[in-house]
Amino acid sequence: MSESSLNTTRRYFLGQCTGVSVGAMALHSLAEQPEVPGLPSLPHFAPKAKRVIFLTHSGGPSQLELYDHKPGLMRLAGTELPESVRQGQRLTTMTANQKQLILPGLTQFSRCGKSGATISEWLPHLQGVADDLCFIKSMTTDQINHAPAMTQFLTGHQLPGRPSMGSWISYGLGSLNRNLPDYLVLISKMQRPSDQPLYDHYWGSGFLPSRYQGVKLRNSKDPVLYLTDPEGLPRHLRRGMLDGLAELNQMRFEKTHDPEITTRIRQYEMAYRMQSSVPELTDLSDEPDHVFDMYGPDSRRAGSYAANCILARRLAERGVRFIQLFHPDWDHHSRLPSWCTARCRDTDQPSAALIKDLKQRGLLDDTLVLWGGEFGRGVAGQGKWDSPEAGRDHHPRCFTMWMAGGGIKPGITYGATDDFSYNVAENPVHVRDLHATVMHLLGIDHERFTFRAQGLDFRLTGVEPTKVVKGILA
Amino acid sequence: MFKRVGFSMLRLMSKHLLPLLVLSLSAHADPVSFSREVLPLLSDNCLSCHGQDAGHRKADLRLDTAEGAREVLKSGDFMARIVSTDPEEIMPPPKSHKPALKPEQVAMLKRWIAEGAKWGRHWSLEKPVKAKVEGHPVDFFVKARLAKEGRTLSPKAPEHTLRRRLSFDLTGLPPASDIQHLESSIEHLADSLLASPHFGERMAMWWLDAARYSDTDGFQSDASRTNWPWRDYVVESFNANKRFDQFTLEQFAGDLLPNATPEQKLATCFHRNHMTNGEGGRDKEESRIDYVIDRVNTTGTVWLGLTLGCTQCHSHKFDPISQHDYYSLNAFFNSIDEDGSAGTKAQPYFSYQSPYAKRAVEESQKLVDARKPVEAKAKADAEKPFSQWLTERQKEVKGGFKAWHVIHGAVESQEGSRLAQAKDGIVSASGPNPKQDDYRLISVLKLPRLTGLKLEVLPQNGVLSRGKDGEFILTDIKVQVRRKGSSQIRDILVKSAVADTKVEGKAREYGDVKGTLDDDPRNGWTTKGFPKDQPHTALYALAEPLELESDEELIFELRQRSTNGDANIASFRVSATDQPGPAVRELGPTPLEQLATGKVERERLLAQFLEDYTPYQLAKASLDRANAQLKEVQAAAGKLNVMVLTERKEPRVTNVLVRGVWDKKGDVVQRDVPAAIAPWPAGLARDRIGLAKWITSKDNPLTARVFVNHIWQMFFGAGLVRTPDDFGLQGQRPTHPELLDWLAVDFMENGWDVKKLIKLIVTSATYQQSSNRTDAADPQNLLLSRGPRFRLPAWMIRDAALTSAGLLNPALGGPPVRPHQPDGVWEEIFMGRFTYEPSQGAAQHRRTLYAFWRRSIAPTFLFDSAQRRVCEVAMTRTNTPLQALTLLNDETMMEASRALAKRMLAAKTEDRLPLLYRSVLTRLPTAKELAVLQRELDSALAHYRVHPEDARKLQTTPELAAHTLVASLVLNLDEAITHE
Repeated sequence: MSESSLNTTRRYFLGQCTGVSVGAMALHSLAEQPEVPGLPSLPHFAPKAKRVIFLTHSGGPSQLELYDHKPGLMRLAGTELPESVRQGQRLTTMTANQKQLILPGLTQFSRCGKSGATISEWLPHLQGVADDLCFIKSMTTDQINHAPAMTQFLTGHQLPGRPSMGSWISYGLGSLNRNLPDYLVLISKMQRPSDQPLYDHYWGSGFLPSRYQGVKLRNSKDPVLYLTDPEGLPRHLRRGMLDGLAELNQMRFEKTHDPEITTRIRQYEMAYRMQSSVPELTDLSDEPDHVFDMYGPDSRRAGSYAANCILARRLAERGVRFIQLFHPDWDHHSRLPSWCTARCRDTDQPSAALIKDLKQRGLLDDTLVLWGGEFGRGVAGQGKWDSPEAGRDHHPRCFTMWMAGGGIKPGITYGATDDFSYNVAENPVHVRDLHATVMHLLGIDHERFTFRAQGLDFRLTGVEPTKVVKGILA
Repeated sequence: MFKRVGFSMLRLMSKHLLPLLVLSLSAHADPVSFSREVLPLLSDNCLSCHGQDAGHRKADLRLDTAEGAREVLKSGDFMARIVSTDPEEIMPPPKSHKPALKPEQVAMLKRWIAEGAKWGRHWSLEKPVKAKVEGHPVDFFVKARLAKEGRTLSPKAPEHTLRRRLSFDLTGLPPASDIQHLESSIEHLADSLLASPHFGERMAMWWLDAARYSDTDGFQSDASRTNWPWRDYVVESFNANKRFDQFTLEQFAGDLLPNATPEQKLATCFHRNHMTNGEGGRDKEESRIDYVIDRVNTTGTVWLGLTLGCTQCHSHKFDPISQHDYYSLNAFFNSIDEDGSAGTKAQPYFSYQSPYAKRAVEESQKLVDARKPVEAKAKADAEKPFSQWLTERQKEVKGGFKAWHVIHGAVESQEGSRLAQAKDGIVSASGPNPKQDDYRLISVLKLPRLTGLKLEVLPQNGVLSRGKDGEFILTDIKVQVRRKGSSQIRDILVKSAVADTKVEGKAREYGDVKGTLDDDPRNGWTTKGFPKDQPHTALYALAEPLELESDEELIFELRQRSTNGDANIASFRVSATDQPGPAVRELGPTPLEQLATGKVERERLLAQFLEDYTPYQLAKASLDRANAQLKEVQAAAGKLNVMVLTERKEPRVTNVLVRGVWDKKGDVVQRDVPAAIAPWPAGLARDRIGLAKWITSKDNPLTARVFVNHIWQMFFGAGLVRTPDDFGLQGQRPTHPELLDWLAVDFMENGWDVKKLIKLIVTSATYQQSSNRTDAADPQNLLLSRGPRFRLPAWMIRDAALTSAGLLNPALGGPPVRPHQPDGVWEEIFMGRFTYEPSQGAAQHRRTLYAFWRRSIAPTFLFDSAQRRVCEVAMTRTNTPLQALTLLNDETMMEASRALAKRMLAAKTEDRLPLLYRSVLTRLPTAKELAVLQRELDSALAHYRVHPEDARKLQTTPELAAHTLVASLVLNLDEAITHE
């Protein structure tokens, strides 16, 4: 955008609207503001990161095939998981009635980079950026089914109705770009129907005002719902119509003195600006070939995870506060090798490219990148453990995430699981701790960041004891 | 905050403003009020550690009861710790993040102690009493309050404003624009609006939000349910002015009433409107317990204004409700004859046939009847062009005809197989043979268009693949288009696949060729079991004919990603065709190929012709949609399963759940109610009937207050208690406590008469005030010194637009409808599992109340609306650019604008803009307003007259296009979407 439309607005307020009321002048000064500020009390301290890119992999990616290498399992293949390890862990009803027979990791691992991180051969590109990543192998959650687990992973509570992390952060810190929403959501376009729909409460604002809810960028003619004017309505007529609308609304303001009218005029202007800033953002035709080469062949297909990774970088460049990608279909209950490698192919090269790209542009220093799903997968095979049909059931007790960028110690592995990748053996990181840590990196003390609703002071991290994970901070 | 972020969060501000206002009024001569001053302060600062929740209690000290506090008050410890300067000593302690008490708060506590530290109860738990009033009770209290501040009511609002306000409040619709003047009194107007059937609809929209009503389950599968007859029960109940205590009783226990009517049984669906989770792997008992908990929480919020949800895990920190109380309430709902299932197994059901469906069937039948002859005529009209076409084709194919053209182009593989294409188009693989591989054929197509592709898998050395067993597995195919030199690739939708090998299609097995269309590597096409030394063929039909630009390339990708791999195709050939219909759907010779051999298959030829004949396709699609709708409403007219309550024979044992976890069972509890609210009415059985009677008993201090507050909020945009969901210690105190109490008692005394209560409120001078702000004081209007001005709920905005445009279909009840919504919204969420077909004909213009509600994605045109996942009674009103975009570009708003434009054009030129204003705003424009409108109309007219092609894109004439734009402008005016 859109200096031109901004000027149109200015011209309108200074020129046409010569009724020069106090309201109009105030409106003008609002239009001058470079950004929407957050809460005056925030940040609580100097932030390490300004923005977040959250690569959300929905369905429960298997830590046993991707990151958490347990070579010792080979000699236990097909034996029953000892009760001393399982310790009464709840199973979903999908495997509750079958024997828990150990299925060793179905892939080869390498030690990568100087840090020697263990990364699966299914993720060759991520192997190449190992030294930029910080692995947390000791993630843990309370939920064993998708919707409650994802809801907790993103909102801190298993039942829908709380604000998502992105909403909290855009509410607290405000926006750095006046032409785009603060919290944007990008969902990979898949061909097959997904078993786990991505509900809009995953990026909902809960009890926070709805202006803080994530705005989904769609892969269609309307990247934002209702963005595109009907065909046959040229831009200058829309501009004229909005000028007329603002003028009549201004007359109403002078009669009623309701400040909501002033806000409304401003929001119609923002809508007009979004009509050019959003298509400009989503049109990747100005990206050079070497960028597409870096993100892989899929990046040329609009709506793919790879294309969304390029978009994420463009959003980061434009100062969007919270950028969340969703890639579904990691729920590999059966035929794990073919299914899981398919999702690895979609995501490996673009995820690695995003890290490299941000780094090259100097954006990685103040951008926090997260990779992870709502839970992990269990060590026992689902189905006949030694058949190609085998998969793995959900597992909440441990899973692996990685983080990179703003304020994170690169090239380390934090926490560990037992020999079965079943229980956390050291440095557990609850989903709540992850939330507290993300907030900390953004300069927010999670205990002091609350919102009153239904008579209670809510916070993202809830009421259970929660800690910032100091061991991963740079 | 208002200005800074551009939204109005009433609750945010007023929480802080209200105590100030109250404090400024408390004359120091009065003794300190425990419930108004001391208790809120204790609640905010002390009770989270020193309340009734024993689990979190520190130092074994309770400050929520007189007994608990007696000792520290007597010893002086209480004040000493508060005023201490020692960080180890001071209360509240620094690590609680609560600031030290302010000097005036300390002074107040000291005075309270000096006055004898009189204990009391929280205001909402004291029974309401009716104070003596003179004149209109509402005005009496409001004026008295204003007088204390030296203020008065604002003048009465202008007549047209008042008519709009009343009409929106009582029916959710704008007034009919043809009535020029308010001829009768406000009493008469209120009576006629209350008698309108739209009154029940308006009230139902509120009740449905509170009841978390939805047409689907929510959660993973989000299956549809047919509970909508309950919605019509709600509309009927409000229209019949059913006593609210009776309405409550029926919804809690209609099934248990002696000689229960079908409608009373239906009523209990209220407590089945919660989400149901059918996720695979989910423990049903956990789900069932969730539903019981949801019912208790909903009861707490809707009737009692209490946040009972807190007590699921621990005793309430602020309100006198223990965890035992909570599970005792659960016990009333714990023996429903249900097992936690979802979808079509969510028993108990009541089999019910709705009297409202017949009308919908008739309406849809009429539409089919109207569209049938159009389709038939289009088909008949096609005969002539068809014969002509056939003659031409016969000439054309005389010398032979080839439908399929072999594709030549560049070939590449992902993982290293060496691919080469021979002159005959056959691609063969050699060299490395990776476990899995993707092949791509990239070419410039010479055909004018593409309708389908043919894939031939050919034997090489007697086998079809390079794998050990000679069998291939093709897991998926992709058809894509890339512009040369451009970076973007687009996917082309393939609609169907057929192959010469027919097998039973199983979701997760290799065999059926359809498995190659779903991007799932766990299924796909293999010809195992068929001769592997023979070629095999698959046909792919595109969803729509594809026309490629001269600089666009077609990419055909073969993905071979099967679980075990080692099944890469050895040799294949791809062909393309521009023939539509049977040619790409059926194997064997295409209709024109048959024709070339002299075989005239008339039906196949006609099918192919019609496929491309647009006038017929439009008529047919239109009829198909009407028929689909008819089928749907016919099904809805039969017996439906409505989810209801019935009690199981053997009651379940109810336990306290430790920390709220479903399988951590604690003490056994019996059915009971929190004693702190009201005693159990003597002589009643401990069942849901008893519970409903306890809720609406005259001893219950909450229900009537909470209900009156809901109604007040509906008309004033904010309640007398501004936290409608929380009348507890952490909620706000009422702005006008005596008024709230008077209305609550009066409501009960008058037999819970809802219409009477409403009429009383709207006939007050307070209600009829102008909503203009005359000064900057009291931005939240806590004193009610002006009328309410707030943006209408999104559903009313839609209904109002349809009404002003004369489009509204005022029919009552019946199966849900689907208003316009942008394409692909459901499809995106469910990756294609559900598609949204907008309703056809008059069904498109029903009230928003009847819009199909999919829980996982609410109707997109509604903003700031309840999500219907859990019960919601608070109003949120934000002001965002996305709302602006919705009102500018939503199809319904555009339709309404076009309809308004047509009405304008039917009037005389000089009457057009005034007519528009009158239709939308119930008033005439001022000269200044007229000038702006005229200017925009003129500039739009000027544009469309010079650019009629733009008008054609809008499917209108230049005049209609320009007037549509101005109508859309007026529908977007702040005044049009605001309750003034």
